[in-house]
Amino acid sequence: MRKFLIKTLGMAILILLLAACTDNADSEGDKKHLAFVYNFATNSLDPNVDSSYVPLRAGMTETLVRLNEETLTIEPWLAESWEGTNEGREWTIKLREGIDFQNGKPMDAAAVKASLERSLKDNVAIQNALKIDAIEVMDDRTLHITNTQAFPEFVSELVNPNVSIIDVEAGDFVNNPIGTGPFKLESFTPGSKLELVRNEGYWDEKAKLDSVTFSFNEDANARSLALESGDADVVFRPEVESIGSLEEKEGVKVESTETFRVHQLTMNMEREALKDVNVRKALDALIDREEIAQSVLLGYAEPAKGPFPGSLPFAPSYSEHETGEDVAKEYLEKAGYTLVDGKMQKDGEPLELTMLTYSSRADLPLIAQIFQSDAKKLGIDVELRQIEIPEEYMASNRDWDLATYSNLTAPRGDAGYYLNATYHPDGALNFSGADEPELTRIIDELNVTVDADKRAELSEAAADYVDENQINSFVIYPDTLVAYDETKVKNWVTTRSEYYMITNQLDVK
Amino acid sequence: MFRIIGRRLLEVVLFVLFVTFFSFLFLRLAPGDPALTILNVDELNVSQEQVEALREDMGFNDPLLVQYGKWLLDFLRLDFGNSYITSQPVSEMLLTGLPATLELTIGSLIVMLLVAIPLGSLSALYKDSWIDHVSRYFSIIGAAVPSFWLGLIMIDMFAVRLSWFPTMGRDSLLSLVLPAVTLGLAIAGVYVRLLRSSLLDSLGQEFVRAARARGISEGRIFFSHAFRHSLPPVITVFGVSLGSLIGGVVVVEVLFAYPGVGKLVVDSIRQRDYPLIQGYIVLMAAIVFIVNTLVDLSYRYVNPELRLKERKLS
Repeated sequence: MRKFLIKTLGMAILILLLAACTDNADSEGDKKHLAFVYNFATNSLDPNVDSSYVPLRAGMTETLVRLNEETLTIEPWLAESWEGTNEGREWTIKLREGIDFQNGKPMDAAAVKASLERSLKDNVAIQNALKIDAIEVMDDRTLHITNTQAFPEFVSELVNPNVSIIDVEAGDFVNNPIGTGPFKLESFTPGSKLELVRNEGYWDEKAKLDSVTFSFNEDANARSLALESGDADVVFRPEVESIGSLEEKEGVKVESTETFRVHQLTMNMEREALKDVNVRKALDALIDREEIAQSVLLGYAEPAKGPFPGSLPFAPSYSEHETGEDVAKEYLEKAGYTLVDGKMQKDGEPLELTMLTYSSRADLPLIAQIFQSDAKKLGIDVELRQIEIPEEYMASNRDWDLATYSNLTAPRGDAGYYLNATYHPDGALNFSGADEPELTRIIDELNVTVDADKRAELSEAAADYVDENQINSFVIYPDTLVAYDETKVKNWVTTRSEYYMITNQLDVK
Repeated sequence: MFRIIGRRLLEVVLFVLFVTFFSFLFLRLAPGDPALTILNVDELNVSQEQVEALREDMGFNDPLLVQYGKWLLDFLRLDFGNSYITSQPVSEMLLTGLPATLELTIGSLIVMLLVAIPLGSLSALYKDSWIDHVSRYFSIIGAAVPSFWLGLIMIDMFAVRLSWFPTMGRDSLLSLVLPAVTLGLAIAGVYVRLLRSSLLDSLGQEFVRAARARGISEGRIFFSHAFRHSLPPVITVFGVSLGSLIGGVVVVEVLFAYPGVGKLVVDSIRQRDYPLIQGYIVLMAAIVFIVNTLVDLSYRYVNPELRLKERKLS
């Protein structure tokens, strides 16, 4: 046994010695390196399939068009120009000249066609989103695309990171996709990190950084600590509670940016009480948006007025909603409710609501609790029910009145996705059960409208309709938080789309 | 020896059927829908019918027993299926993550032994002394503190304040230290108390008194007699607590972004990647089974009485 003890001790000492020998310091000298920590892990880098979008975010791949973060409009990227005819049924796309994949092969029309066809084949959702019928190669730089139907939003859908252009002949998409971006992959440890190096043959201005480590950690505390220890230079979504202590640290900058996300209160309009628009308006008036933004997100959020944040070109000027207990009471009285024995009642039936919430977005249960306590003051009992997967529960169960939900409203700078998914009778996220002929007509018209101004007008009309009829209630637009070492990192931009993270402009001092 | 292994093999068949069937059942009954993840409804507009069509396509609408039967047939051909998310063979993905997990498990077991053996032995030898009290507090705290919290403290102390170790990842042996210490300390508590009481029991046995009477030195009595005699209960508990060790590995891997199978399965649970989760369960069941068999066999080595009994029986 003594021998065993000595052996174990010896082994432990050996391990410690070995560990001490491994050089952890930056031995690359003057090379410019940046370490980034992202909040979701992925085991696959397949740009056409995986919804973590890591290859695009890490600057490995690019799409034909991109979203301009300032104007929130579509701008050229790998494509130089495009033209739609026949109400968006047919498109001619001109590619930029002289772009090569990271393996040196030219990115010509045939390669782009192959890449697009691969994403259509392997990704049902993309097939659905792009509605492509046929792709034709006109010449080296020109593609002609025919859609299955009139489809004006087509180009905006090409922003989707799953439509990244890759060299499909290179194979091994899961571990090493070959794109056109400013960085190429050196190594990938599934679930843990990517090591990236500059792509010397990049078509645009070469990356300023020599290398980047793009790692994943799902634990918000651990991410904040990585920044504090200097292991990370930029961390995505540090924990809200740790912001205070991070900001106190010398050199750390916390940036908060409005996104295209809205935390909303989905109303089940199939329930008796909620069929009455006045009840819905009363519930909307009960939401204390300021309080929620301050106490739940510590101010890193804006009170919401409608589904689209005001900065989007197609956000309407929403009507001012009056809020507060008195307003709510008035609406309820209009709906025939009176306060009896401290309970809101109509025909002897008290107003009791079931509200769904789920924990995978930590803010939502807190919002639900605040709402519950505000409703109680008015004599409305709200029973909170914790569910696991909201999309599944809400689609298959109708035994609830309200649900906290969080939705991306314009992931690609266009209103089409959200309006179709949430308010069209066929939409997969239409949990309020909206089936309003007028609204459906507007959305249907939007779906075949090419002209950008006309589209904005229709999107506004739809958002206005939702607002006036209070189909859902909008609570806050949460910010995206990024913390980074200001003394080291240069040119970091927190994008609203959350698509573009590691860019050729990103630099260290 | 062969009889034991033969009986064990029969057991393992029943065990695998039991574990895989119930895990399959619970996975499918649990809320969650891979179709929604695969279709990325969060960002792409799909219709309810398309979700339904994909479900049908993937066989989720078949009766559970049919689904399980299909899985079992593939499994018998040693085919664990492909991940819904990466489309790669599940077995390949698990094997890629396994070395990291084994490294972490072995590392934390070493830490556990380094803590538990000296602390347990000393508190038995110096019963009711200060060291005994220290070890008791250590055990209580060790059992009460969740490993993710301990891990965060470790990161804060040794990675942020002292910058001795990296906060996450698996780059060199240095990255192994914090996760292994976190997990090792978390499981050491149980073994310190167990070793202590088992040692006290052995030290009070007649053979120890006999050895003393024969004038054998205290040190030899302790190591060659009492210590060895006290091991069976400790080993038994190890077999039993293997499950909590595996659970601890998962937590620690997530916290330190350590790319092992535990991390892999957490990612796949989030995405409802059924084939991978099911494959992980089978792998862990196999590991538990193998370790328990080894534990059974090791009794015969540490406890000669058992060998004697067997000989008498035959």
